[in-house]
Amino acid sequence: MGVQSIFDAVISLDSDKVVELVKEEIGKGTDVSSILEQGLIAAMDEVGKRFSEGQFFVPEMLLAAQAMKAGIDVLRPYLIRSDSKSKKGTVVIGTVKGDLHDIGKNLVAMMLEGAGFEVHDLGVDVDTDTFVNAAKEKNADIVAMSALLTTTMPTMEEVIKAIKENQLKCKTMVGGAPVTQAFASRIGADGYSEDAPGAVEKARELLGL
Amino acid sequence: MIKQFANLLTQDEVVNVHEASLEILENVGLLVRNEKARQIFKRHGCQVDSQTAIVKIPRRIVEECRKSFVPRYTFTARDPKYDKVLPDDSPVIVTASSAPNIIDPKTGEERRATSTDIANIAHLINELPGYDVFSISTLAEDAPEGQFSLSRFYPALKNCLKPVRSNTPNMHDLKQVLELGALIAGSEEAYRERPFINHHYCPVVSPLTMDVESTEAVIYLVEQGLPVYGTIVPNAGMTAPMSLLGTLVLGNAEFLALATLIQLIRPGAPLIYAVLSTVADMRSGAYAPGAIETAILQVAHTQMARFYNVPSGGYIGLTNAHVNDAQSGYETGMLTTAALLAGADLFNMGGLLSSLMAFDYAKAVIDNEIALMLKQLKCGIPFSKEEMCIDLIAEVGPGGTYMDKVHTLKNMRKVALFPKVATRETRGRWEEDGRKDAHQRALQEAINILKKENPAVFPPELDSKIRAHFPGLVPGEAVFND
Ligand code: B12
Repeated sequence: MGVQSIFDAVISLDSDKVVELVKEEIGKGTDVSSILEQGLIAAMDEVGKRFSEGQFFVPEMLLAAQAMKAGIDVLRPYLIRSDSKSKKGTVVIGTVKGDLHDIGKNLVAMMLEGAGFEVHDLGVDVDTDTFVNAAKEKNADIVAMSALLTTTMPTMEEVIKAIKENQLKCKTMVGGAPVTQAFASRIGADGYSEDAPGAVEKARELLGL
Repeated sequence: MIKQFANLLTQDEVVNVHEASLEILENVGLLVRNEKARQIFKRHGCQVDSQTAIVKIPRRIVEECRKSFVPRYTFTARDPKYDKVLPDDSPVIVTASSAPNIIDPKTGEERRATSTDIANIAHLINELPGYDVFSISTLAEDAPEGQFSLSRFYPALKNCLKPVRSNTPNMHDLKQVLELGALIAGSEEAYRERPFINHHYCPVVSPLTMDVESTEAVIYLVEQGLPVYGTIVPNAGMTAPMSLLGTLVLGNAEFLALATLIQLIRPGAPLIYAVLSTVADMRSGAYAPGAIETAILQVAHTQMARFYNVPSGGYIGLTNAHVNDAQSGYETGMLTTAALLAGADLFNMGGLLSSLMAFDYAKAVIDNEIALMLKQLKCGIPFSKEEMCIDLIAEVGPGGTYMDKVHTLKNMRKVALFPKVATRETRGRWEEDGRKDAHQRALQEAINILKKENPAVFPPELDSKIRAHFPGLVPGEAVFND
């Protein structure tokens, strides 16, 4: 019953309820990994399924992710490192220098977050140094860049070069309406996707998750 | 003539939207990232927070600026014969612009567009009678370093006598393009006399933000007394409230903020209340300019423009379709019809697929036909005693025919529009003719035009002068080999 109601609360997008129920279960001594696996993560899998079937819309996906995150925050002190499947990797994301388009980038950031990645959004008009420094500072697994202008796409290549020069071990991902797989390959990006759900899949693939 | 425009708001509601917008400008304000713009607002008594860059505009200042709004906006052409004035020449039909890609007319595949494509498109638009203004449809992938905008404006101006419109990404490009204008005009003075490059920007990033570069360009052009206008682009669910009215209020506030800035710089500077107000498709977050809500919002913004007595319009009639198919036609057709009936003046509608990502020749030809239909619709029903034909109706009486009447002979070439793309053949003849659909017929029409010599090109002396001035310039020749 208990873990199932956490699952249900995530599906009904109720963060407060999730927090309350997770605390209750911890108090009852329920196995934390079952709260995590069968409660929170299973719920997000269900949300993902409903989203790809077109039943759930973007904001529902986001709110469910927030509810899940709220639950995980309560759970975190009780989780042993090994079973913290909750954190999938760290992503630094931004729209490149000279570009102000952020609708698509925001969607990608939010979906990655929903899928359990730790996301650091650097905003728009982000220069190479800012990307590189953030990647170092946050110990990023992936640096993700968005560009909607053909004039700003070349700066993605600069960022990728700088990451390599700095010998950072992170992977790179690029996207945005005018960006193509061919362009991504040419500039040496590790990943490309046409849309936000694809970006999540790609990120998982790059990190072997 | 349309005698009663379609309205979705009552006059009280219009006033309410205006009031709500004033409240937002006064209490919430805008994030103004451009330093010069902040200075201008500050100098005129707006509250500017130097830490946050938030500018709050008191209603008194907006209302004062409203007094200098003017009702007309002119698109100047290289050849004065093609000048267009809003609202007198409405509906003014414009191509949609700046797509990175083109559907190759030979392969049917999408690829990056080049300066030669722009030259060909300019030639086509010059010839298609439905278009009034050529907003440069694509980018030029082959642009030499430092000539991004020049590689668009040169082939466009060289091959089209109609007013040319587009944007530039930075001040370097803007000044280079103005230099081109002066060369073509013969001198800077002559250019200022007839500034035939019509600048457009999106300086407002919804919600409530003014950017650096586009705002800089707008300020410069307004100071110089050169033509410029902005489009306001809120997106419900993403950058605006998920409410048609909320998005209208926000977009209206953003229009007022930009209009106020422009009037503070130069009172009486012409404006267009131009929008691309959309609702995001919340199933995926996709941009949906072809959605019917875009038309609903355009109608309402047009009512607001009428309240302010400024010309209205925007990017209306775009499509999300990736090929020039039925969706492309019904989205462009329905959205523009609604806007026309509401009294919109400016229609940035022609030629692009995939929500502004790719140009298609056949789409441009079909949109030309839609444009002609809109113009016909705008003419409405000329009303007079004579036009009622009472005597003629009596003469023919019940059961007769009008086919052989002098009256019919006199009127038959002007009462109805004769479409070039739409078929009116019998099925049998259409089958004999190869069962061509609208897209194929339109593409053929484009090719027929492109294969002809372009009469609009620069005189050779002028062309050499320009080419000498800008070494490395793209050829800019309209060439189309079948
Ligand atoms: C909305 C919009 C704007 C808004 C932006 C609002 C905002 N907050 O973002 C405003 C009005 C401010 C704007 C301004 C400008 N714009 Co604009 N804009 C658009 C438009 C119509 C839609 C973009 C959008 O939001 N799409 C919706 C989202 C959901 O899709 P998306 O961004 O593609 O993202 C998806 C995928 O690409 C992918 N993705 C995105 N990022 C990433 C990152 C990674 C890592 C991955 C894996 C995937 C991924 O996933 C996303 C979700 O599925 C596009 C046309 C288009 N169809 O793309 C033009 C467009 C991009 N703009 C264009 C232009 C010309 C401009 C301006 C120069 C206009 C001007 N003169 O002022 C300015 C430039 C400002 C600047 N310096 O950046 C041109 C581009 C031309 C070029 N040079 O390449 C376009 C193509 C339109 C056109 N034909 O004119 N624009």
